[in-house]
Amino acid sequence: MRLTTRNRSLPGILLFLFIAGSWLEPVQPSSNQASPSILQDRAREIMDRVDRMLRGESSTGTVQMKVATRRWNRSMTLRIWSEGTDKALIRILAPRKNRGTATLRVGSNMWNYLSKIERVIRVPTSMMMGAWMGSHLTNDDLVKESRLVRDYDIGISFEGEKEGVPVWEFELVPKPEAPVVWGRIVYRVRQADLLPVWARYYGEDEALKRTMSFSDYAVMGGRRIPTRMSIVPENKPGESTEMIYKDLSFDVPIAEKTFSLSNLRARR
Amino acid sequence: MVFLLGWRNLWRNPLRSLITIVGLASGYAVLMFLVSITEGMRVQMLNNGTDLLVGHVQIHHPEYLPDRDLYETLGGSEGTDWRALAERLRREPEVAASTARIHAAGLASTGESSAGVAIVGIDPVQESKVSGLQGQGSPKNLQGRGLLLGENLQQELVAGTGTEIALVTQAADGTIGNDLYRNRGTLRTGMAFLDRSLMLVHLTDLQELLSLAPERIHEITIKLRDPGQAEAFATRLNDSDILPPGAVARSWRSLLPTLSDYLDMVTASYVVMIGLVGLFAALGVLNTMLMSVFERVRELGMLSALGMRPASVVLTVVSESIALAVAGLGTGLVLGSLLVWHLSSTGLDLRSWMGEISLLETRMDPVIPVAWSWVAVWLPAVGLLLATVAASLLPALRAAFVNPVLAMRNLSKA
Repeated sequence: MRLTTRNRSLPGILLFLFIAGSWLEPVQPSSNQASPSILQDRAREIMDRVDRMLRGESSTGTVQMKVATRRWNRSMTLRIWSEGTDKALIRILAPRKNRGTATLRVGSNMWNYLSKIERVIRVPTSMMMGAWMGSHLTNDDLVKESRLVRDYDIGISFEGEKEGVPVWEFELVPKPEAPVVWGRIVYRVRQADLLPVWARYYGEDEALKRTMSFSDYAVMGGRRIPTRMSIVPENKPGESTEMIYKDLSFDVPIAEKTFSLSNLRARR
Repeated sequence: MVFLLGWRNLWRNPLRSLITIVGLASGYAVLMFLVSITEGMRVQMLNNGTDLLVGHVQIHHPEYLPDRDLYETLGGSEGTDWRALAERLRREPEVAASTARIHAAGLASTGESSAGVAIVGIDPVQESKVSGLQGQGSPKNLQGRGLLLGENLQQELVAGTGTEIALVTQAADGTIGNDLYRNRGTLRTGMAFLDRSLMLVHLTDLQELLSLAPERIHEITIKLRDPGQAEAFATRLNDSDILPPGAVARSWRSLLPTLSDYLDMVTASYVVMIGLVGLFAALGVLNTMLMSVFERVRELGMLSALGMRPASVVLTVVSESIALAVAGLGTGLVLGSLLVWHLSSTGLDLRSWMGEISLLETRMDPVIPVAWSWVAVWLPAVGLLLATVAASLLPALRAAFVNPVLAMRNLSKA
């Protein structure tokens, strides 16, 4: 069965990065015998809850990002500020060589600040599918994820127990006119605490392109969140990008000028 | 003796022979002209396609094409002494010039706007001997972090000469390579995709930007004295020990397969033209020779009665047609040469009909150079000569087997 939602949101990578742990209170798991209409209402309720939690949220945190490729391995420490679903600033703290390099995202616009040459560069549309700072995340991932609801029809494809845990699986299919690169996305979410387990991204050819896995659920900043996430691309065996939260706080006041170009340039 | 007979026979009816000669001559002159133009166009497209960047032969890591992976450098990840290799290649007799390059994709930004670019790191001195890039900037201006931009890219980036441009790319060690360069001029290739994305920088600057060791390059491009030898030379290189392990040479024919096929088709097209003109010439000659034989039936019968062998009769008639062809081709050669010579100074100017056309990995200019080429002389000549001789065979056989009695008694009804 499928239900279409509008102006709702689903846990995605950005959510993880910027608004992780927004699924607060557990929703009572539905019984497996629930009729389709109750199920549909229930899904809507879940969406509503998630959506409400996202609005007006703010967070700051520190993330360690480990990128492993066939040629090199790299570890970066990132400081992240986020507000709502459309404003975010990420600054590299380590390694020293890249310290101060930062990315600002406001709405669908994205700028990189390169500390070595002290220049701000706007990321053009044509480069949106390029890798973000050499990781397996694309620039597009950082910008588009919060628009999942606008670009995809969302349905529940599975409800029940998997590996001993009651879960839902949501299937996201792009709307016909949506400018997206994925053919289909499947999310698995735990019923008990609404935390994501994994997300699988399929291409237009129905082949699995990459898998995002969430783990190490722990309380951080007063909320229970998956503190570790990894991205494994299918076409590059042995490669992955892993992100681990070191600290995180929610609903802290963030100055409006944080998400400005002048702040992006400011070296810290 | 027989040929003299043929030549004399030609002038029994001078007007008829002259008309056929003029026909052959104009056919030949037109063919010379057409083949010269087509050949000029073929050479122009070949040169435009190879002169820009491709060259005639390229050497890469075997895995480098078509993905152009940053890490697939010549000689593997250790690199190779490419300066010595390029120098060694220049000593080969076929080679006119050779140069080393690095390719990368990146993001260029002037602050106001940014664009994705195809960055090529070049050795300015050698590069200018290999590729004929036109524009305001010379590759020699790249010293001290200079760069040259494709014409449309320059407009997109709103970059005047001297504008500072930031280049960002994924470096080989996983970091973000970034540096500032200064715009030293624009390039015009006439190829839409290059003018929109091409950026030239100094090879060592690009190695630094990409965190590539100085021994590591992606490509050596060779310009040959004769492009026709590209394939043979590439094969010879691959069989020799000149190339380091982890390197393979490819000719422009495999680097630009579409262009290669198209140029073969152009060659085939003038063979077809020659065939068509040859067919019409043959019909004209057939008519002339048949008439000539009909008129002489009595005489041929007499010769036959006197004991002339049929083979000799055939030879007489064929030699008459050869005389016709020689006279026609000789006149045509003069006419055609004048035409080609007249156009060779200016080229065939089609500017009022068309602009520059960017097609099939190359570019066609509105002024087609018309060059004197031997192919335009001998190929139509051979074609027309064969057509003439073939056309005379039927009348010749007819002449060889006249019944002498009937022929002498009753004129043409033999």
